[in-house]
Amino acid sequence: PGPARLARLPLARVKALVKADPDVALASQEAVFVLARATELFVETIAKDAFVYAQQGKRKTLQRKDLDNAIEAIDEFAFLE
Amino acid sequence: LPDGVNISKEARSAISRAASVFVLYATSCANNFAMKGKRKTLNAGDVLSAMEEMEFQRFMVPLKESLEVYRREQKGKKEARKDKDKKADSEEQDKSREEDNDDEDERMEEEEQNDEEEVDN
Repeated sequence: PGPARLARLPLARVKALVKADPDVALASQEAVFVLARATELFVETIAKDAFVYAQQGKRKTLQRKDLDNAIEAIDEFAFLE
Repeated sequence: LPDGVNISKEARSAISRAASVFVLYATSCANNFAMKGKRKTLNAGDVLSAMEEMEFQRFMVPLKESLEVYRREQKGKKEARKDKDKKADSEEQDKSREEDNDDEDERMEEEEQNDEEEVDN
């Protein structure tokens, strides 16, 4: 994992997604921040996991099918199916 | 990803969509924790609980560390604002009243700083 740092993903974008949930009344600034940071970690993770498949195929370009493979193979990504 | 690695357009777009789904799912999960705690406001703790629930325990340590950094930064900003207000008070009264209003709007837009407070819709 990278060093402790602030989010690079735009918080406004994350906030918009949070507000899209009709069950959510209000979210604290901190909550939006943690969500943004978690999403960054998620993107790092899924990219890394998908890249393993690209390497198996001796490719240096990550392709859609690498992601599909990672999503199918890894339990934590089941919610994406 | 290591240097020299490219990402196809389709892969990029898929990752972007996955990230959105992640946020939506995590939000819903976090909201369950907020409701369990009889709170109407999602707080950082709810999001952390959601990560555990979603089996992303490996995120916990880096998330908590980032949150610490964030809290320190916010505290610094708050103190800078307080100093600015103090300075404004010592200047013209009318001017400082206007500045106070701006600060209020800013606070409302940012929603809550304090996790314990609740605001009714």
